[in-house]
Amino acid sequence: MEIINSMMNKKLKLILKRLLSSILILFLVITMVFILVRISPGDPAQKYISPKLSPELAQQVRNSFNLDEPITVQYINFLKNIASGDFGISYEYRMPVIKVVLEFLPVTLLLAFLSIMLQIILGYYSAILAIKRKNNFTDRILRKSSIVLYVTPGFVLGVILIYIFSVQLDLLPSGSFKSYFFDELSLFGKLIDIFSHLLLPVLTLSLPGAALFFNYFRDGIEEVLQKDFVLYLKASGVSEKIIFRKHVLPNSLKPVLSIAGIELGFLLSGTLVAEVIFSLPGMGRLMVTSILSRDFPLVIACAFVTAVFIIFSNFIFDLIKVKVDKRIWKEILS
Amino acid sequence: MRWKIYFLLSLIFILFVSCEKEDASLTSRVVIAIQSEPETLNPVYAFGINEGIITEHLFLYLLDLKWNEKTGDVEAYPMLAEKWQWNSDSTSIEIFLRKDSKWSDGKTISAYDVVYSFDIYSDPQVQSRFFGMFKNFFHFDDGRVDLEKTFAVIDSFHLIINFLPEKVISLFDLAFPIIPKHIYEKLNRNEIQTSEINFSPVSSGPYKLKMWERNQYVILEANKNCFLYNKDMISQIIFKIVSDYSSIITQLKKGEVDLSEDIKPSDAKQLSTNPDLSVTSVKGRQFEYVGWNNIDGKLFSEKNNIVPHKFFGDKKVRQALSYAINRKEIVDEYLLGYGSLCNSPISEIFVNEFDSTLKGFEYNPDKAKTLLKEAGWTDKNQNGVLEKGSLEFSFTLNIPSGNPLRDYAATVIKNNLKQVGVDVIIEKLEFGVLMDGVLNRKLDAWILAWFIPLPLDLKTYWYSDLTQTQLNFAGYQSNEADRIILELEKKLIKEKYINLMKKFQQTISEEQPVTFLYWFDNIVCHNKRIKNITINPFGPIQRIWEWRL
Repeated sequence: MEIINSMMNKKLKLILKRLLSSILILFLVITMVFILVRISPGDPAQKYISPKLSPELAQQVRNSFNLDEPITVQYINFLKNIASGDFGISYEYRMPVIKVVLEFLPVTLLLAFLSIMLQIILGYYSAILAIKRKNNFTDRILRKSSIVLYVTPGFVLGVILIYIFSVQLDLLPSGSFKSYFFDELSLFGKLIDIFSHLLLPVLTLSLPGAALFFNYFRDGIEEVLQKDFVLYLKASGVSEKIIFRKHVLPNSLKPVLSIAGIELGFLLSGTLVAEVIFSLPGMGRLMVTSILSRDFPLVIACAFVTAVFIIFSNFIFDLIKVKVDKRIWKEILS
Repeated sequence: MRWKIYFLLSLIFILFVSCEKEDASLTSRVVIAIQSEPETLNPVYAFGINEGIITEHLFLYLLDLKWNEKTGDVEAYPMLAEKWQWNSDSTSIEIFLRKDSKWSDGKTISAYDVVYSFDIYSDPQVQSRFFGMFKNFFHFDDGRVDLEKTFAVIDSFHLIINFLPEKVISLFDLAFPIIPKHIYEKLNRNEIQTSEINFSPVSSGPYKLKMWERNQYVILEANKNCFLYNKDMISQIIFKIVSDYSSIITQLKKGEVDLSEDIKPSDAKQLSTNPDLSVTSVKGRQFEYVGWNNIDGKLFSEKNNIVPHKFFGDKKVRQALSYAINRKEIVDEYLLGYGSLCNSPISEIFVNEFDSTLKGFEYNPDKAKTLLKEAGWTDKNQNGVLEKGSLEFSFTLNIPSGNPLRDYAATVIKNNLKQVGVDVIIEKLEFGVLMDGVLNRKLDAWILAWFIPLPLDLKTYWYSDLTQTQLNFAGYQSNEADRIILELEKKLIKEKYINLMKKFQQTISEEQPVTFLYWFDNIVCHNKRIKNITINPFGPIQRIWEWRL
């Protein structure tokens, strides 16, 4: 019992340590972004400088953003506000930045989760198919096409998919998250509407990733299949299905899960190319427009949310790794 | 077998998707593509073009200003004001409002709303987009309109507006959207910027807001309570946000979008062959120029001293550079007929003011070389680059990134200037960074465009006092131009006004503070199913209530 307790304490300590280091990373990220956006050239009040507007207006606006104060004072105020959960008001959207981020986050979350699921499922089943038909035509086709898909840039793939399914076949819409007559549709119609709008963006995001997962799954599984213990299990009369599910698959998952953690973090930080090509309101577009318009509070909030998601997704996949292979918990959680 | 069933099910599903789309799109709708999302639907803060277009259909103005192609001028028609009467010396106007105009919440629009609108717009606390534009009104030092001296409300639908006696008053002094007093007065003026009315306004125009999906679309629907309503009006106008330019072109071809502006000339040719689409353009509202810093920017920023720039401070050098640039090549090769050469900041759409006798600087490298020699620039060391003393004629030409027309123009200019012995380094900067450099006078030369405001405004761009005119990016210094600009601020008879305008064009063309490159059209593509659409210098997306399907 004592041994179990001490082990639990150790695990708890490690998790806490990881949590603290995550908070430190977040603090460093927002500090760095704060300094970078302020020292980079450009002025948030620039759009108020126009022949149609009075020159005094830009100065008025600049004063109201508190940009005339020394950077140290701005930084201290910023930290105080962050500590109370206030990321400020967006210069562009004229509302609290957290509210703006929350409006753009759902699309990114949906895209990211659908995409990572599709990547893993496609990657896994195609890898199984390739292993079953090793070195024959299907395997060769899958391997070659995985390379082609992996090296195809997202914007090229997106445009090709739009050209085929939207322009030539006229089966799917070429952009947007939902139709403007969405509210007039039945519940089933609404589901179909969102599905039809998301199909091409999710495919654009997923196909290159699926090709990557295909290679990791294929190589990982094949490597484990060559191991002596598999031969021993086979010789002991254990069924092929059980060998595969209980022994081969868990042992081949470690690199796949590491990649999945990174990929999910990347997807959650914004899927810019797909968002731009398919006119989707996601975090990637929000971040780019906020940088271009020098919307400082929004840039920081976007960076913060992105950093949180990257840390969180890595943590989640590390926990899955621990679940799969309990021997590595110390190495992963520290 | 299993795969065949899956395939069949997917096919049925996709067909179902297509059918549902057809059923739901029967309402009379027009979809207009816009590249960026509006930030607000509050006319007080509608700084962007898209916000301006949308709010112009949500809020009524006192007068309905229309462009007259023949006279090249603006004419006023009744809108909220049913009739009006100027006094003998045009220092005050008596306005009679319509009695049947309502806010979308049912309240009647009255003279008190008009007075309140001017109060809000001129209040420095509010930071409205119209702040500082009431210099012709009786006003306080902080810019606020003096309501007592300016307005006399006779009754709810009858008021008099008084102007400062010495000022030149135009219809544009009344061209402001009227906002609902009963809604705004409940708000603290500091907080209007962040209030809910920015996103769900109480409006008065021919259209009202139906729905706003962030970064997707803004849907306006016909406002049956507005006196401009007509049963044949298009019932829904959808402003669809499509940030990717090539997606707009695809959607125009597919019929997912009915209208878009800012089409590239190369695409215009292709789109015009589509039987469903019509391509037309707005001419004479925007021109590109090469900005030459006429003064030493560093010295001006540090000590406020105006000293001519080491390269471009000399008029002869600027003229030489203009002669050396083959503007016609850019117009012919890139604009493909959707533009024309520019010789001054006044275009031919201003029929009366435009000086058609102005010849401009036709491509002439020999003359450029002669002028440069006269200015003291010679290639003594025979390295292909001119020198004056120890100074080589080599500078950086800055252009904003992501604009293919400017990329092309910059390359042509670099090659042209190389032929006359001037070395140009092209540097692309992100737009915000470039503007930072231009505003703080850090750059030597740049390519940018100016959008010509209506009414014409010369002082903001070309007046010598740089503390007053931050948009005189080139630091243009000219006593003659200043004299004309100040003269134009006085009350003048039409003939004298036109003569002064022409004189200004001759002066600025002679002095070439910048090299005026070309007027480029705002190319508009719309589906032919839209009828009765007006496209003139006011833009392509205006008076939507007059469109028909």
